[in-house]
Amino acid sequence: MTKFTKRTPALIGRRGFLGAAGAVAAAAGTGGLFAPGRALAQEFPSRNIDIIIPTGEGGGADRDARAFASVWGNHLPTNFQFGYYPGAAGQVGYEFYMSREPDAHSLIFANLGPEVIMLALQDTGISVGEDIVYIQQTLSEPMAVWVGPSSPFRTLEELVEEGRRRPLTVAVSRLPHPASIGMLALGEALGIEIVLVPYGGGNPTAMAAITLEVDCAALPVTNSIVLDDQSLVLGIFADENVAPDGTDNAPTVNAALGTSIPALTSSRAWGIHRAAYDAYPERVTRLKESMAATLADPAYVEAVEGAGVPSVFIDPGDEAQAMASAQATIEMARRYRDLLTGS
Amino acid sequence: MNATGLAELFFYSASMWWVIIPAVFIGILMGAIPGFAAHNTIIMLLPLTLAVDVDVALTFMVALYCASHLGGGIPAILLNIPGTGGAAATTLDGYPMSQQGKASKALALSFVASISAGLLTSAVTLFMLQYLSQVGFYIRSVEMVVVMLFGLALIAAIAAKDMIKGLIAGALGLMLGAMGADHIYATPRGTFGILELFDGVPLVPALIGLFAISEALIMLETRTVAPAGAARSMPTWTQTFREIAGAFRHWVLMIWTSLLGLVIGVLPGAGASIAAFVAYQQARVFSRTPEKFGTGHEQGVVAPEAANNGVTTGTLVPLLAIGVPGGSTAAVMMVVLQFHGVPFGPRLFVQDPLLAYGVIMSMFVAYVFMLVTLFPLTRYLSRITVVANYYMAPMIVAFTLVGAFVPRNFMADLTIAVVFGLIGYVARKTGYNVAAILIGVILGPLLERSFLLSMRISGGDWTVFFSSAIGNILWALLAVTLLASPSISLLRRMRRKGDIY
Repeated sequence: MTKFTKRTPALIGRRGFLGAAGAVAAAAGTGGLFAPGRALAQEFPSRNIDIIIPTGEGGGADRDARAFASVWGNHLPTNFQFGYYPGAAGQVGYEFYMSREPDAHSLIFANLGPEVIMLALQDTGISVGEDIVYIQQTLSEPMAVWVGPSSPFRTLEELVEEGRRRPLTVAVSRLPHPASIGMLALGEALGIEIVLVPYGGGNPTAMAAITLEVDCAALPVTNSIVLDDQSLVLGIFADENVAPDGTDNAPTVNAALGTSIPALTSSRAWGIHRAAYDAYPERVTRLKESMAATLADPAYVEAVEGAGVPSVFIDPGDEAQAMASAQATIEMARRYRDLLTGS
Repeated sequence: MNATGLAELFFYSASMWWVIIPAVFIGILMGAIPGFAAHNTIIMLLPLTLAVDVDVALTFMVALYCASHLGGGIPAILLNIPGTGGAAATTLDGYPMSQQGKASKALALSFVASISAGLLTSAVTLFMLQYLSQVGFYIRSVEMVVVMLFGLALIAAIAAKDMIKGLIAGALGLMLGAMGADHIYATPRGTFGILELFDGVPLVPALIGLFAISEALIMLETRTVAPAGAARSMPTWTQTFREIAGAFRHWVLMIWTSLLGLVIGVLPGAGASIAAFVAYQQARVFSRTPEKFGTGHEQGVVAPEAANNGVTTGTLVPLLAIGVPGGSTAAVMMVVLQFHGVPFGPRLFVQDPLLAYGVIMSMFVAYVFMLVTLFPLTRYLSRITVVANYYMAPMIVAFTLVGAFVPRNFMADLTIAVVFGLIGYVARKTGYNVAAILIGVILGPLLERSFLLSMRISGGDWTVFFSSAIGNILWALLAVTLLASPSISLLRRMRRKGDIY
């Protein structure tokens, strides 16, 4: 007996624990009977926001979504839960997202370029606008063609010159991608054969270019900016190079080669179920307001730059702009359907 | 880096003991439960690692990652259930040792091999990081095809006991591994319209089904894993330390298989599973007693465990030296570095060399801590094999089904695990090797990917597979590997018959 009475008293004893647990249970039970509990249930968000990312962890989408969420929490008081569903060029993530409860607590962080092309070309049954609405654009970046530090090609002209002698192998993340379209358009314009080699993600694509397995890589330009001296940007599919510092002051493809390839960008945007958009307009408004406040917050600029992305790529766009970007991408995908699908 | 710098770095990393010790225990626990592998656990704990200083976060993740690879071998040995894909090869000899009442010895072999491999490869990486990063320049898709074939050669080894059944099991695994969207055009194949199969057969539910659920069903037929006559009392401390000391007899095997693991770990897209399968197969080929593999042979535990822990260091090399993560765990670490605004790749060594080398040193220190904390555990863990199976089987099913759900949060993964459980049960009862099926499921898609990439780069010219010097050397070694074992057996038979002298 003495042994037990002499022991150091715990912070919470057994009786205390049981008493506290009983009180919590009672409070929870009675809380359910009274109006305040119901009133709280009306608030949005009433639980964590689930963020579905249709690519793997550690990729560009993950990086950008986390940078956004790190500031978003200041404007939307909740927690953000990330889920990664890569596969079938993003189809797995989109289909999984569509299977979630359309209550505005589940959002998809989209890479509009490749994913909208995928939705346009693959038989997913998911339609932009009818099933999913992009409510806020956050970033936009152009596509770039680049090589590793040991590559024999130092300019776009040298690469094209080689392309006139033999087919050029180009590492891409996946075939349905604006960067793939850019390279195919380049090949078409100059009469050179481009062989796209899809590596299934930005990181393996970058590795293929660095280790010289392929002649060059075509990816969103941030991938090469983040790699710093492990990459040399040869050209950018844009009207002007807005990030000359991080891209070795690379020329635009059109300026270097005299082509007239349309600007190819990929925008990050938040997407939501059409059903949630229609059923809960006040929740969507709350989301949009908090997203806009996040984009206007100087802390977001810091978060983006901290992640290695030039802040010049921050491109706040409302729903109309995000949906217009998606529509433009759909049209481009239709134009290059045969080349992208191998049909 | 000079000796003073190294000592300073060592003590700096050791000062993180308060992070390393919990990380080691979490890692071992998570590694031991199929589905809760390192990168899942690190993702779950990401809010924690993002909230602390970057050096603390990296030390925590690295220690947890190393420990999870070690933890994966524990259930593989005790229950025939690999905690991770990298421990699947360990079941081949680890579990038979447990069934013979040698669980404590098998655990000692596993711990010694794992820790020695970790210490050796982290030390090698510390001094040769820049050279190791060059491996990727020589082993590309073409050469990866041959590396995968080295792993698949293990199917042939397994099939040696029963050629038809072994090859059927391997072919079934390859067919299952071919399900999912193709690697070039993302066209779904053999998915039956099931979304959850679009990304291929998920490894964790397949592994859980083939090994854990089928094993749980088999376990119900016996009272305990250990034979009825096995020692019921706990091994004495003297016995435990004798077993640990005895494990060092295999030091040569440990060294070369851990270095093999290190090199395979450096290759993007390769991983612990491939390393363990290749190491097991090569250890068998070069063993003086290849016929003992698969029957509870000590070398069959040492080789895969040393290799899969060698991989842990190798996986970080591309991230540190080039700035591109070599695997999913390294990718999550990159997220943490990005969040803290820390550069990675060569810039990390210029801007923050203490942190860059500290990552590798903290791996070394984590293994030192494991040395101290884990060896005594062999004495206690081996007792699991004498726990009645009617307690163990339901617990295994419950824990592993949770593990099947965790990586992707798809309810369908529970169904996939159960279906694979039934496949595994039927396979075991009819004499088909489940490890051969798993090898096909794991290596099939990787082989196909490397094959298709090579063919695409070459414009469909199959001679590309014989176009590189390294590739040709690997082909020659593969041929030697495949021919060595039957040739040696044939020579021995002829010698016994007196046909040759």
